Amino acid sequence: MFQTFDKRSPHARKLWMALLARAPQPLLDAALAEHTHTQPQWLRRPETGLMMVQGRVGGTGERFNLGEVTVTRCALRLHTAASDAPVGVSYVLGRNHHQAQLAAVADAMLQDPAQHAALEASLLTPLREHLQAQHAARHARAQTTKVDFLTVAREAGGDDEGDEA
Amino acid sequence: MKAQDLQHIAAGFSHEAFGSQAVFRAALDALSHPGRSFQMPIDCALPRHGQPAAAALMLGLLDADTRLWLSPALAQSDAAPWLRFHTGCQIVTDANEAHFVWVALGDALPALHSLRLGGDAYPDQSATCVIETLALHADVAGWTLQGPGIQDQRHLQVTGLTPDFTEQWQHNHASFPRGVDVFLTTPTHVVGLPRTTRILNTQEA
Repeated sequence: MFQTFDKRSPHARKLWMALLARAPQPLLDAALAEHTHTQPQWLRRPETGLMMVQGRVGGTGERFNLGEVTVTRCALRLHTAASDAPVGVSYVLGRNHHQAQLAAVADAMLQDPAQHAALEASLLTPLREHLQAQHAARHARAQTTKVDFLTVAREAGGDDEGDEA
Repeated sequence: MKAQDLQHIAAGFSHEAFGSQAVFRAALDALSHPGRSFQMPIDCALPRHGQPAAAALMLGLLDADTRLWLSPALAQSDAAPWLRFHTGCQIVTDANEAHFVWVALGDALPALHSLRLGGDAYPDQSATCVIETLALHADVAGWTLQGPGIQDQRHLQVTGLTPDFTEQWQHNHASFPRGVDVFLTTPTHVVGLPRTTRILNTQEA
């Protein structure tokens, strides 16, 4: 498992990689401005492929194939890094190679304790806020279509009373 | 693959398509001209263990559908995660399950007849062995080779191979159409030894 010498939990990397996978490119561009035009040391250049997404009915039922999604992945070391420096890996939805590259750069930098705090503030925090805002907006939009079935039932019950009798 | 394995991984081919095509061409040439020594085009970063030519050959030939067996020295080294990462091959611990066998210099060669030999109906399902040697000298007295791809006969001197290899090879040749194919490598060159090739003169120089 992934371990570092500081007090971060072993799942920290999993969490930030999940965040980076959802990061829109403008946020990555803003936080990693000095890395957007440098060529990293590639282990695996960005490549786009299909992945089968599986689901379970109600989260507990039998697994079934939901459908395929387009995924772009890459692995790299920063262009200045030594040959045994941390490897940044990213998997992002879609076919945006540049976004995958920046997410992997961010992953590599976050593994470096010296840069972690700065990047946490400049990238991860805005990213969390962005995703929360996005979630809240989607939630609010869904809320406007909500139907209060109790009310409908009461009104319908009032109107239909005569028919049923 | 674990995170600490990924930490020490080297890059693959500088250009995946061209690099693997060049390697495949060299492998094809080597098997078409048994006993002739071909320079391996090595256009990739390399793991710290294993000969460069053998590593490049494996990187070019393996893919996600192949099973690979590594000799003990390689199985412990960074060559295993390197191949696993770049090719997606499956690494097995039983040599007789493997499609490809890579034997490092100094490690014992598993008995050829114990590897996958294919069947009479499907001889293509046999294993391919990549065996590292100290030196290979084509056209120098040692083995005398005959068979398809060789006009009359060809000479090859091999150093650093297990002494009973020629005896094992006779059995391998005799079991045609089944049998394994072999690549002998030095750090820079590769020699093909398909199962159709006979080794006549077994005196080793």
